[in-house]
Amino acid sequence: MKVLVCLKQVPHSDARLDIRDDGAWIKDDGVKFEINSYDTYALEQALRVKDAGEAEVVVVSIGPDRVTQALRTALGMGADRAVHVNDPEAEGSDPLGVAKILAAVAAEESPDLILTGFMSEDGNFAAVPPMVARLQGIPSATAVVQCEISDSSVRVERELEGGAMEVVDLEMPCLIALQTGANQVRYASLKGIMQAKKKPVDAKTVADLGLAGQVGASAVKVVIEKIYRPDKGEGAEMLEGSTGEVVSQLVGKIKELGLL
Amino acid sequence: MGNILVVAEIQKGELREASYELLTQAHAVAGAGDAGRKVRSLVIGSGVADAAAEFAGKGGGDTYLADAEGLAAYNVNGWEAAILAAAEAAEADLILLSNTPSGWDVAPRIAAALDAAFVSDCFKIEADGDGLALYRRVFNGKLDAKLSVSGAGPVVATMQPGACAAYEGTSQGATHPVEVKLDGAKAVFVEVKAAESKGVDLTKADIIVSGGRGVGDPEKFTEVIQPLADALGAAMGASRPVVDAGWLPHEYQVGSSGQVVQPKLYIACGISGAIQHLVGMKTSNFIVAINKDPDAPIFEVADIGIVADLFEVVPALTKAVQEAKGG
Ligand SMILES: Cc1cc2nc3c(=O)[nH]c(=O)nc-3n(C[C@H](O)[C@H](O)[C@H](O)COP(=O)(O)OP(=O)(O)OC[C@H]3O[C@@H](n4cnc5c(N)ncnc54)[C@H](O)[C@@H]3O)c2cc1C
Ligand SMILES: Nc1ncnc2c1ncn2[C@@H]1O[C@H](COP(=O)(O)O)[C@@H](O)[C@H]1O
Repeated sequence: MKVLVCLKQVPHSDARLDIRDDGAWIKDDGVKFEINSYDTYALEQALRVKDAGEAEVVVVSIGPDRVTQALRTALGMGADRAVHVNDPEAEGSDPLGVAKILAAVAAEESPDLILTGFMSEDGNFAAVPPMVARLQGIPSATAVVQCEISDSSVRVERELEGGAMEVVDLEMPCLIALQTGANQVRYASLKGIMQAKKKPVDAKTVADLGLAGQVGASAVKVVIEKIYRPDKGEGAEMLEGSTGEVVSQLVGKIKELGLL
Repeated sequence: MGNILVVAEIQKGELREASYELLTQAHAVAGAGDAGRKVRSLVIGSGVADAAAEFAGKGGGDTYLADAEGLAAYNVNGWEAAILAAAEAAEADLILLSNTPSGWDVAPRIAAALDAAFVSDCFKIEADGDGLALYRRVFNGKLDAKLSVSGAGPVVATMQPGACAAYEGTSQGATHPVEVKLDGAKAVFVEVKAAESKGVDLTKADIIVSGGRGVGDPEKFTEVIQPLADALGAAMGASRPVVDAGWLPHEYQVGSSGQVVQPKLYIACGISGAIQHLVGMKTSNFIVAINKDPDAPIFEVADIGIVADLFEVVPALTKAVQEAKGG
């Protein structure tokens, strides 16, 4: 079995978000990046398939040089091979552009199973995975918290609202987008990190994938005009002062509410 | 320019509130544009002709009806086929869905199939000349974004449930059946498992002290959050990452995929305020937020905000509460 895992590198969850001068995205110089948390669950799921039998796990990421770090981490955790789409022509793609690139990689790799995160923590689109599946003509399921893999199909549990679950059978090949908490993600072992240095990372360009001119900033259908701090509505009454002062004001409020 | 297709959703036999919110959005765009767009709708299910007729009369306008036994439950292949068929029949160039488990599962596939622009989880869409301005949150609610669409192709968008009021107008519309090919589906619905009954019922608590990722680790939960909850006689709650990491069981989770609570007092410690958390607690009677980031969106829904390190404020508050109770 061959499993393709799509990994995105995103700004660290504690990163300061400074808006770029053109207003269209955040400044990313000096920002620490990490693997999108949703994608770590996808990678863990893939590694469990490998632990349970014979499987090749290939990780793919689209992004600049810094993405090498994410791919190395994934290889250190146990992935076998990496594909790095590293090309300025890919930059600035909207989700459909990203999906076209990933679908082209999937077409080359012909995996039985594509595992992705449910959504990226920066753009919050939750768009790419079902698009990749549709472009590849395969079934997909999103917000998946459990997968049971048999020879030619996967039974998944998708999260609905309020804790209900929807059980769906997907014929392979298929794509599954994982929700957070789906499993406990392992760490890369020291041995794994050493071995990762010898594992192959294939660099690809947009042209290699036959997509020249079809993706990237020039081909977007959706344009981010600006990002901005949300309008402050009425907002909260902010308590100021020393810890002691703040706490005594707060206790006063709780008393007023009749809860003390 | 084409029409707007609203994809309605039926839940437990009823049209969802979110579907009427889509109509509000659709009529706003149709009314403002100079393009003469008409609002059309689609109802999908089994035995839902009455629901379709109801929707057609309450703002949905001419409504397509994809009615088949195989559509009784949500199924990605069935929905995709139904929406594509209705979009073609409606000559739609704007397709609106709700950002619900069904909507987010199928909408991106529709966009890929039509090579359309796709924008998810909008809280507002405006007609902007002959284009559109779409507003949505990014970075888990820390920033907002304004987007536009380039080119004249179709647009698929999903709307955040609860972002606008439900449509209350009426419309004249007929229902039109659409043929949906259901054989050969590669995704097969098996069942829906109801939410497990909860050992901890947060919906009954008067006070909830909730901790988020900012609490840092499970020991700190016991050392810092639990004592405040105990002092106040409160229940303990948590955001999703706390539950994902296994610090607390799922029954403590507040939010769209956890419990929806409405206590007299909700104290959020180290919780940023992503929309999925907010929908679970924003109607609480009184909300206190403690967060070290002054821009955290949780302060937008809080009555009282404290920008500080929770490890200083929470233990001091615990002590003060204990003293107030003792004295
Ligand atoms: C379909 C779906 C369903 C979801 N369902 C839910 C749900 O039911 N419930 C839910 O909660 N989330 C849910 N989420 C996840 C949600 O999007 C957020 O990721 C999550 O709510 C963030 O949790 P958090 O605020 O604890 O963590 P973060 O966003 O990481 O925020 C941590 C906060 O702690 C603050 N902090 C850090 N250290 C300190 C300190 N020492 N003192 C004070 N403050 C500090 C930081 O400033 C930050 O604001 C869902 C997501 C999806 C896509
Ligand atoms: N640049 C990328 N490289 C690899 N995978 C990606 C990339 N962007 C998105 N994905 C995958 O698609 C998922 C959803 O992303 P999005 O649609 O952007 O929210 C992510 O969790 C990844 O698995």
